Amino acid sequence: MISIKYLFVLLLSALVLLITGCAPKQNLITKGEMFPKMYEQQPKSLLILPPMNESTDAEAKDYYLTTVEQPFGMMGYYVLPTELVSDVMKQEGIVNTETLYGLPLNKLQEYFGADAVIYTHIKKWNVSYMVVASTLTVSIESEMVSTKTSEKLWSYTGTVVQNLSSNSNSGGGLAQLVVNLVETAINTAAADYVKYARVANARLLTSVPVGPYHPFYLKDQGTMILNQQATLPQ
Amino acid sequence: MKIKNNVNFYILGLATVILITGCAQQPKPLYNYGNYSNSYYSYKKNASPESALALEMSIRQAIDKANESQSGRVPPGMYANLGYLQLKAGNTSEAIGSFTKEKITYPESSFFMDKMIKRIHDSEEKKI
Repeated sequence: MISIKYLFVLLLSALVLLITGCAPKQNLITKGEMFPKMYEQQPKSLLILPPMNESTDAEAKDYYLTTVEQPFGMMGYYVLPTELVSDVMKQEGIVNTETLYGLPLNKLQEYFGADAVIYTHIKKWNVSYMVVASTLTVSIESEMVSTKTSEKLWSYTGTVVQNLSSNSNSGGGLAQLVVNLVETAINTAAADYVKYARVANARLLTSVPVGPYHPFYLKDQGTMILNQQATLPQ
Repeated sequence: MKIKNNVNFYILGLATVILITGCAQQPKPLYNYGNYSNSYYSYKKNASPESALALEMSIRQAIDKANESQSGRVPPGMYANLGYLQLKAGNTSEAIGSFTKEKITYPESSFFMDKMIKRIHDSEEKKI
């Protein structure tokens, strides 16, 4: 009988570890606590603006808009077609993002009729080179602002850190080191911007309360997410 | 000892079942976007008649295969995307048809779609 008790305790502790193990408890928060205004205002349609690039990489912003329709749509929102929207904006003479981000919300509402606007800030898009390795860091912050009340309803940051080097090869001397360096350069050149933007999007969207076309609409207040505003206990 | 073995076996079995069903249950995605994102990206990267055609085909496929998704609905914006391509190709009546389908599928789009349809009518009046 002791063995049964023993097994039970083992199973229970395994369960507890499974549930609490991944992140310290104090850093978790529910979607309902973190973004209460999402559940009050219940935005249904989104206007996603081109990103504001705050990183050092000029190319980073060019293709970002091709990565947003699908993930926001999959979260249950109506997303205005980005290609049509951005061309209409260009025809209206709004070419640069700074002008666009400075536009009053009611102007955007007047033109596109969306419940909320998504502003995106590419915070980091850096490749750091080391002797035998290089790392790409992508950090994207996204925020949803109501066109009706101008309130910020949701914001979250998605970060990806990717090792771009080819398989590290210890040993082999200087010749191997040179080979590694060349391969790293090739891999960096081939690093697909859009691929990592998609991963960052997927990460930041884990926190958004789902929209009206999602089966869990208004049922996910209790879903736990990482509280990015909380300071990590040391 | 026998009891212990039985319990061991039982727990192991249960754990295996949870592990297998937990991972295997992958519901269908809400929408079927198909290859749309990739072909949209290729088109933005290198706009050519070929990449434009590939984009149009991926949009049409996402529309045709909507019933393979969980919702059975055409993804948001897909009819509007098709309408925009038709508009650029000068097929204004087809474009209006697609913009109207977007409105019917997603009433949230009505405001913007009506604006687009009005634009088409306005520019056609100018021609006459």
